[in-house]
Amino acid sequence: MASTMLELTNIHKAFGDNQVLRGIDLVVDKGEVLAVLGPSGSGKSTMLRCINHLETIDKGTIDIKGRRLVEDGVYVDEKTQHEILAATGMVFQQFNLFPHMTVLENLIEAPTYVKGLSRDEAVAIAVDLLKKVGLADRQDSYPARLSGGQQQRVAIARALAMQPDIMLFDEPTSALDPELTGEVLKTMRELAEEHMTMVVVTHEMAFAREASSRVIFMAGGVIVEENEPQEFFNNPKEERTRAFLRNML
Amino acid sequence: MEKLFDMALLIMQGAAVTLEIFVITLALSLPLGGLAALGRLSSIRPLRYLMEFYVWIMRGTPLMLQLLFVYFALPMVGLMLPDIAAALLAFTLNYAAYFAEIFRAGIQAIPRGQFEAARVLGLPHWHTIKRIVFPQVLRIVLPPISNETINLVKDTSLIYILAMNDLLRVARTIVQREFDMTPFIIAGAFYLAMTAVLTWGFKRLEAYYGKYDA
Repeated sequence: MASTMLELTNIHKAFGDNQVLRGIDLVVDKGEVLAVLGPSGSGKSTMLRCINHLETIDKGTIDIKGRRLVEDGVYVDEKTQHEILAATGMVFQQFNLFPHMTVLENLIEAPTYVKGLSRDEAVAIAVDLLKKVGLADRQDSYPARLSGGQQQRVAIARALAMQPDIMLFDEPTSALDPELTGEVLKTMRELAEEHMTMVVVTHEMAFAREASSRVIFMAGGVIVEENEPQEFFNNPKEERTRAFLRNML
Repeated sequence: MEKLFDMALLIMQGAAVTLEIFVITLALSLPLGGLAALGRLSSIRPLRYLMEFYVWIMRGTPLMLQLLFVYFALPMVGLMLPDIAAALLAFTLNYAAYFAEIFRAGIQAIPRGQFEAARVLGLPHWHTIKRIVFPQVLRIVLPPISNETINLVKDTSLIYILAMNDLLRVARTIVQREFDMTPFIIAGAFYLAMTAVLTWGFKRLEAYYGKYDA
């Protein structure tokens, strides 16, 4: 019996007059790799950013690892939010590494300050993670010296250094040159194979098809279709899904 | 030769006044400018408008006028300041306004993603400002700050209208007395020396804070 990692109930979010999310219901189980597909403007990135409160929802309820972050649009107090959101890690489209810190410093800043690890402990974790993403030799480099693909792998390692239970990926390969997406996707596949719970907003159909355990398709602020990847790609039920897939494949 | 030495000695005393004004103005206007920048970016609307008004006045009128105003107009409303304090007040208010604009631009140049990345890592806000934002802002504002600082060295010469014996006024007094242009050259050399030191210092700072550039 898989335990529930993340549960969104009836999420609504508007930016001014623009209603971006119109009632999202979603359950993500431990170890699931959920691929979130959809045309731009469908609300998929906004949904992801609502999960860790980078955006504040107008209506709805969010539970993370069985703890309530927000109920009917009312958030728990700041300190509790902090505790609950420590279970989440995020990787951004633009990497958002700290440019004035070396790769290693990027990785140990939060573990030492937020978790209170000693520098040695944090460095040990960081070095292991850099090995894992194939960048052990770049720990003293500044981000500007790295390629986009390398920067994104560092960003993944930085998020993992906080030992989250759910990783959120916001179009992690969209800012990369095509020849650099492979190395990032490979790192993400390895993570998936280790049964990390992942929610991945992406345009990479191959990744969704081969590495995800479930696909949801969003359009107009709602989840239009949801299925296992084979079924989703081979046998899409909704006309909007079919139109989207025709354009993408 | 001895005459030249005497001139240099007199001019050096003037240079001390110039340096004093320069150092104190810089020490006061930089932090004040930082605070004013935070005020301009504040979510408190009256504070924001107040700071905009302040910057508008200070940048919109000549520094010379501001000096004369503090020196001559304030005593009329009963506020008597010693000469040097009056000059410092005008210089500090003026330069803080320029520094405020530089800091504001620097803070606004930090991408929102930096704040978001810090936030999803669980870093508290003030820690983010101190460790993530401030070092990057410093890097961005150093060149314009350097520019303004060098301007300040030269702007200090405006106090000659307040009859204070700064570098330029001392030089001019000697020129008028001796009918000899040498003091102007010596004064010029003093200004150049000061700006050379500043240029070198800022270059070092820029190299230090820019070491992470590709």
